[in-house]
Amino acid sequence: MLDPTAGAIEAPVAQSIGRAGRRARGYWAESWERLYSDRIGFACGLLILLFGVLALAAPLLSAVVTHHDPVRQNLANTFALPGQFTFPLGSDELGRDTLTRLIYGARVSLLVAYLTVILALIIGGSVGMLAGYFGGWLDTVLMRVVDMVLSIPSIYLLILLTALAPRIGPVSLNPGNPYSLAVIIALVSWGSLARLVRADVLSVKERDFMLATRSLGASNWRLMSRHLLPNVLAVMVVAASLQVGAIIVTEAALDFIGLGITPPTASWGNMLSNSQVYFYHSLWLVILPGLAIFVTVLAMNVFGNTVRDAFDPRLREMR
Amino acid sequence: MLWKYALRRIIVALPVLLGVTVITYGLIYLTAGDLVPGLQLNPNLRPEDIARIKANLGLDQPFLVQYLNWLGVPWLLHQVGLWPGAVRTGLLQGDFGRSLLDGSPVMSHILERLPYTLELTSLAILVGVIVAIPMGVVGALRRGSPADHFLTSLSVVGVSIPNFWLALLLVLIFSVGAFQLGLPHLPSGGAASSVNGGDVLDRLAHLVLPTTVLAFGYLAVWSRYTRSSMLESLSQDYVRTARAKGMSERRVVYVHTLRNAVIPLVTLIGLELPTLVAGGAVVEIVFSWPGLGRLALERAVGHDYTTVMGLTLFTAVLVIAGNLLADVLYAVLDPRIRYT
Amino acid sequence: MSEHLLQVENLRTEFPTRDGVVGAVDGVSFYLDPGETLGIVGESGSGKSITVLSIMGLVQRPGRIAGGRVLYKGNDLVQFSQEQLQEVRGKDLAMIFQDPMTSLNPVYRSGWQVGEPLRLHRGLDRPRSLREAVSMFRKVGMPEPEQRVQSYPHELSGGMRQRAMIAMGLTTGPSVLIADEPTTALDVTIQAQILELLKKVNAEYNTATILITHNLGVVAGMCERVMVMYAGRVVEEGPTEDVFANPSHPYTWSLLRSLPRLDRDAKEPLRALPGLPPDLTDLPSGCHFHPRCPFRIDRCVDEYPPLAAVLPAQRAACWVTQAGVDLNRAGAIVG
Repeated sequence: MLDPTAGAIEAPVAQSIGRAGRRARGYWAESWERLYSDRIGFACGLLILLFGVLALAAPLLSAVVTHHDPVRQNLANTFALPGQFTFPLGSDELGRDTLTRLIYGARVSLLVAYLTVILALIIGGSVGMLAGYFGGWLDTVLMRVVDMVLSIPSIYLLILLTALAPRIGPVSLNPGNPYSLAVIIALVSWGSLARLVRADVLSVKERDFMLATRSLGASNWRLMSRHLLPNVLAVMVVAASLQVGAIIVTEAALDFIGLGITPPTASWGNMLSNSQVYFYHSLWLVILPGLAIFVTVLAMNVFGNTVRDAFDPRLREMR
Repeated sequence: MLWKYALRRIIVALPVLLGVTVITYGLIYLTAGDLVPGLQLNPNLRPEDIARIKANLGLDQPFLVQYLNWLGVPWLLHQVGLWPGAVRTGLLQGDFGRSLLDGSPVMSHILERLPYTLELTSLAILVGVIVAIPMGVVGALRRGSPADHFLTSLSVVGVSIPNFWLALLLVLIFSVGAFQLGLPHLPSGGAASSVNGGDVLDRLAHLVLPTTVLAFGYLAVWSRYTRSSMLESLSQDYVRTARAKGMSERRVVYVHTLRNAVIPLVTLIGLELPTLVAGGAVVEIVFSWPGLGRLALERAVGHDYTTVMGLTLFTAVLVIAGNLLADVLYAVLDPRIRYT
Repeated sequence: MSEHLLQVENLRTEFPTRDGVVGAVDGVSFYLDPGETLGIVGESGSGKSITVLSIMGLVQRPGRIAGGRVLYKGNDLVQFSQEQLQEVRGKDLAMIFQDPMTSLNPVYRSGWQVGEPLRLHRGLDRPRSLREAVSMFRKVGMPEPEQRVQSYPHELSGGMRQRAMIAMGLTTGPSVLIADEPTTALDVTIQAQILELLKKVNAEYNTATILITHNLGVVAGMCERVMVMYAGRVVEEGPTEDVFANPSHPYTWSLLRSLPRLDRDAKEPLRALPGLPPDLTDLPSGCHFHPRCPFRIDRCVDEYPPLAAVLPAQRAACWVTQAGVDLNRAGAIVG
């Protein structure tokens, strides 16, 4: 700051940020308004929020409301029918309260889903931005890597990864643990995000303000973090909100086939898997966990569509 | 010209394919310290025995050597006299290695299960396309009508419903429920009633539920895509031209509009060809369908990592081939793409 | 009164919008006789395209024809069912559009498309329709017609595409050819060729032509009669010569003045029309043109002028000229 020329250079940059900032604020405010005006979509958003609060409050709810522990067995009360005061949604083969387990299941599902999306955004976003911004050989190499990741069918890669992960040397990811599971799923699902972000970076890069800022001598890092990132954030938000639902299904599927979260920890997927055996007499055990997944994913997809329409009409029909 | 284009696409796909082999083999390599399950724990084996077993399997070599061996590069060199001694075949010769469980070639397991997967998924894709296109066309032609709203809702449900749960529900209704009510019921799993394969009718009955579940997922996506693609195409000038020529509305829709609208759909289906081998994996598991997905799970649970790796690689090859096929098909369908 | 080939009476076409129903075409009447060429001139949004689309029955929902008649050989096309209209379209009334690139179907060969009306309306089989397409291509001056029928639209140049469109319109020998800005999307040199072709077609086949354009120069070279539209209404019509010599609506007068002419004093500046085309959802009171009109009088703000004769064959909807003012002279004063 002692160098007088530094100030002279900084001033116009600050100004351009100011302008971009105002435009961006207008954009976010406008998008928020559009989001707010779609009632069904907004209601779905609120529902997701409610599920999130329930999941966060699971220990509290289990202590105060349901009076059940999600894993403690109660062999005197197995297969309780739903509708009773003590077991509002019935109990399973070990006498565990279904409602309590569903709430704890939400904890797992939402934790894994959001953690995965955040990780996938970090990996995919960074790769996409680097590839799009620098172009050239880096772009070619990174995008070929994306091609590779995308060409391995994710379910097989997941099966391979979940099977091998606990054995991979010092890292030792155990898919039975939600955090590790999120890492594993994220490693498989960042590819399409990287492609989207790269495409958006390419278009943003061509805009005048980028050129102007660059001509003022801003560093690559500054350009990327201060100018590029805010502009590609919209695409990332939209893509993320569209992907959460799919990731919940993926996570539940892994639990369901026995490669993810394992009992006794309650997760929607392993509850469903567990219930298959009791098809004949305990319908609710099959219906409830699946319904929980379905309603959550439905809400997330509808909300995701709303977010997409609100934030970026260009992305309509993106999948 | 088409061949040249296809060839160029293949050349571009080769490095990707090679990269996939590095990734999959790399994963196995990283776990090599404990690749053979229980080896370290076996009290009858001294450390030098373990070392000898690993040496025999080539697991003591550096990654690159192991990888090239696995690829079958030495074998190739041996054939042209550049490598001394006899070496075993590798991936390049179609050898996907041997199962850790039973020592049989991985490829034989894959080939045994592949027809089941292809049977199930291709039928599901066929059903999906046959149902999705008319659904999308109706939605586009009657935009905003109750029928359109219904179809849109159905597709949102189809995208959101976990297929393994839908599978369970269908089993609940059409197998278990129908059986309990004494009604004709559908089988809830397997590919045939008897071990040596039942008659055609029996096999079809086993296909109904898994196909329905898979097809529902496909048509949810494709019907929406057809709808938006139709809407886009309907708004084009050439549709107006067709009307101005006095074409009937039927002809305008089916000859002039749909033909253009299916071009992007073909790309989409091509991009979803991965699901031809992989999309049904979880459904296969629910229905005990003896396909590749079920094989992968069985072997993963049984710590047969070489087989799982082989499967992963094999499906990746099919995916890359599928994408290639979609590209070429696209070029055939759309005269504007001129193999560039 | 003799019967005209095509007679449009008081046509009104409406589009519902968020701000209420818009009359894109608002009480338009005109006629067309066999073999003649009528020019329809106006800015975009003046309703000229919607007028001809209404004639063809091609107005897309939610737009609709709300009133009036379109008499073709005495039959009212407005009352026709879709099936009846399909019989007429492409057979008696043909239409070619502005952008030949987007107006030709990209996935079919041009010969296939040109032959399609023949197969449909005349029941020709594929090979015969293709032969007809070749001969039609030859007539419209398409180079190498035998090869070109096998080409896809994207393989043709802009001029060739428009020739293909014209060929497609003419295969069935229609009595009316409607050309909606047929040269706008083309290069200047190609424009002249296409106009020349339309002229030739008109002369050789005695096809009555409606030429829509925003270019008065094109009208001068092509059309016997001209009709000027503004905000969905006809503001002036008459023989081209009369309208050019004696523009009787200030809008026509402004358009003519913005046209570069060889016979005008080089020092006289070209004037562009001031202001913007009117917003159809919020039309000015009285004469819709009054906010942009240099000759405006009080009456123009309150009352819409009727289309009244200024010369025996020329009519204009303007209070000022109906009061006897000569715009060319007054214009020199107004500036």
